[in-house]
Amino acid sequence: MKQGIILFILLCLVALSGSAFAESTIESRIRVLEETLKKQEETIKAQQMMINELKEQIKKDKDGVAITAESKENPPEIKKETKATGLFGGSALSNPNISMVLNTYAYSSNLTTDELKNRGISGYTTEGIDRRNGFNLDAAELAFYAPVDPYFNLYATIPVTEDGASVEEAYFVTTALPEGHQIKAGKFKSGFGRLNAQHSHVWDFVDNPLPYRAFISSGDEGIDEKGIQYTYLAPLPFYTILGVEILQGENKTLFGSDAAGGAHAYAAFAKASLDVSDNATILFGPSVITGKTKTDTVMTNSDFTGDTTLYGLELTYKWKPTKYQGFKLQSEYLYRTQSGNLTDLTLGSTQRLDRNQDGLYIQGVYLWNRWEFGARYDTLSLFTDDYILDGVKRDQGRRPWRISGMADYTFSEFSLLRLQYNHDESDVTGKPNDELFLQLIFTIGAHPAHQF
Amino acid sequence: MKKLLITFLIMFTFSTPALAKLNIVATLPWIGSLASEIGKDKVAVKVLVKPSQDPHQIEAKPSMILAARNADILIYNGLDLEIGYLPLLIEASRNPKVQPGQAGNLDCSQFIKVIEKHEAVDRSMGDVHPLGNPHYHLSAQNILGVIRGITQVLSGLDPEQSSFYKTNLATFEAKLKEKRKQWASISLTGKRFVAYHRFFEYLAQEFGFQIVGYVEEKPGIPPSAGYIEKLVETMRRSKPDGIITTAYSGKDEINALSQKTGVRSIVIPHDVGSAPGVNDWFSLMDAVLKSLQ
Repeated sequence: MKQGIILFILLCLVALSGSAFAESTIESRIRVLEETLKKQEETIKAQQMMINELKEQIKKDKDGVAITAESKENPPEIKKETKATGLFGGSALSNPNISMVLNTYAYSSNLTTDELKNRGISGYTTEGIDRRNGFNLDAAELAFYAPVDPYFNLYATIPVTEDGASVEEAYFVTTALPEGHQIKAGKFKSGFGRLNAQHSHVWDFVDNPLPYRAFISSGDEGIDEKGIQYTYLAPLPFYTILGVEILQGENKTLFGSDAAGGAHAYAAFAKASLDVSDNATILFGPSVITGKTKTDTVMTNSDFTGDTTLYGLELTYKWKPTKYQGFKLQSEYLYRTQSGNLTDLTLGSTQRLDRNQDGLYIQGVYLWNRWEFGARYDTLSLFTDDYILDGVKRDQGRRPWRISGMADYTFSEFSLLRLQYNHDESDVTGKPNDELFLQLIFTIGAHPAHQF
Repeated sequence: MKKLLITFLIMFTFSTPALAKLNIVATLPWIGSLASEIGKDKVAVKVLVKPSQDPHQIEAKPSMILAARNADILIYNGLDLEIGYLPLLIEASRNPKVQPGQAGNLDCSQFIKVIEKHEAVDRSMGDVHPLGNPHYHLSAQNILGVIRGITQVLSGLDPEQSSFYKTNLATFEAKLKEKRKQWASISLTGKRFVAYHRFFEYLAQEFGFQIVGYVEEKPGIPPSAGYIEKLVETMRRSKPDGIITTAYSGKDEINALSQKTGVRSIVIPHDVGSAPGVNDWFSLMDAVLKSLQ
């Protein structure tokens, strides 16, 4: 290319010189031309040399780059990426992790909505079932979470229902206490039992089992109290956690806001866990919660005041050899003892009431690919059912029980469709309740935690 | 009630016995293996995830929480691979040493060059890792960065053993150099594979082969029948060199695909301990490269 240009210039020069020296003799013209040609040849030579030099230079540079690349494999110091690497979702520091869980279900029962509302468990609770035939919205539950600073993590769970928003949980957890110690305070779900501390959308069944309904709460809110919790993870060869709680005691079934002036409920629990094999784990332990009670859920049109203690035993077994297959077995036994005075609000008469009652549920869930199949049996008055009014033990009739079957399908980790059937014989004097649920649970936002 | 409280308080006053060895908890087997290469007998390494398990789907088991409680350092993969259980595990460990921001909380992904970072993601795209592809351990370049990082942090935590750790690092680096020469003779350049999950991208980058398609239509979501049908058609035409996956996921799917297309299926050992003889990172890479040839 360059040579082409030079040739072109040469031709131009030839043409120019031709015109410039038009009047010279042919000889002198030839001489001039020869000289010019000589000069041009020298120029070309010089240029060629430069080209060669440049080529050499480029080659050297290339080799140099290769050498640098080689040496880059052994950088003297570690380069760190300055960007947050996202243990907590990779979000910016200015934003807490936010998620929303939508829990909604279609419901069908042989009972009317009114019958459901009044369907307590005789001798246990007067609280009915807050569900309607047709479509139900459990909640769109907002959850916020972020470390506050190097000392605390903060959580808030705000279920939004058709009645408005409420604060289900809002608490901090310490992260900087010495090994094994932790304090949680605010409003939180008590560590009592297994199901209680879990949110209902991670349960294996749509609804809570009969012992929870009878002793803790008719809905899925559980023992959810303002207070403080202290836990200790013991330095033992197997997992052992011990905890104590001081709670306000506002749970309507167990205690009641007006039962005493200040905080009036206390809980303690212990949980131990062992890996029985590479793929199987058990978790078990006892719990107890005790406090002052003032409630209207014992008998209609009556107030009960007294003391209540609820004991619990929990057992969970999980086997999961692969992500496509697994089995969960879970059971809890609850025993409640209560004594105090029952006041008839119309007559104004007061009688002494002592109740020692128990209940149990046992459930199994089999995982197969994206499906889960489960069965649950729950019952009350398993070993004992003392309902002693004014020293007279009441005949409670036959034992309340219920049986459930469940199948669910996980589209992804963030969406689930569940079908559940209950045959409920908990109303010993009334009709059985045959219920069918079709539940949908969706999660958006921050990644949900894989709790054991 | 009071008696119960007192009993608890007595139990709480137990203190942990002092241990001479540095307690290392690693989430994945390969991380534990690297830590052992550096710490040798001066450290006790506990690995949380089994080589047979899908690292995406781990639950925070109580035994894992207990391990984290006793850790001097928690070393993890990062890039959100452990997002489902690690934040929970760290909080429940009640161990201030392993909290984020502490020296005992080590995210290995800070030492590598991350690929496939996503600017904008939502979950309609599947369970995408927005911070980039987290499966980076099948790469000599990345491992070199990670093991140097681990050495530096361990030396900081245990200055007395610093020179011991550095000697072990030098041994590792020498072996790596040797191995890289050996691996350089393996020619995978130009080979084309179909993969189940986005697990082999760093490996492909380093060894010059191509991943031309994925069995998972979207990350973390099993493929639909329609998508598989299309994939089968494409594969019959383009004849890739193999369909690859890890032992924990997609084995049945790739075997079915193999039968339909005649393309061979390859289950690649994905981590230390996932196949017989794969007992450290070098033998893992040997096995991986062998299976791809």
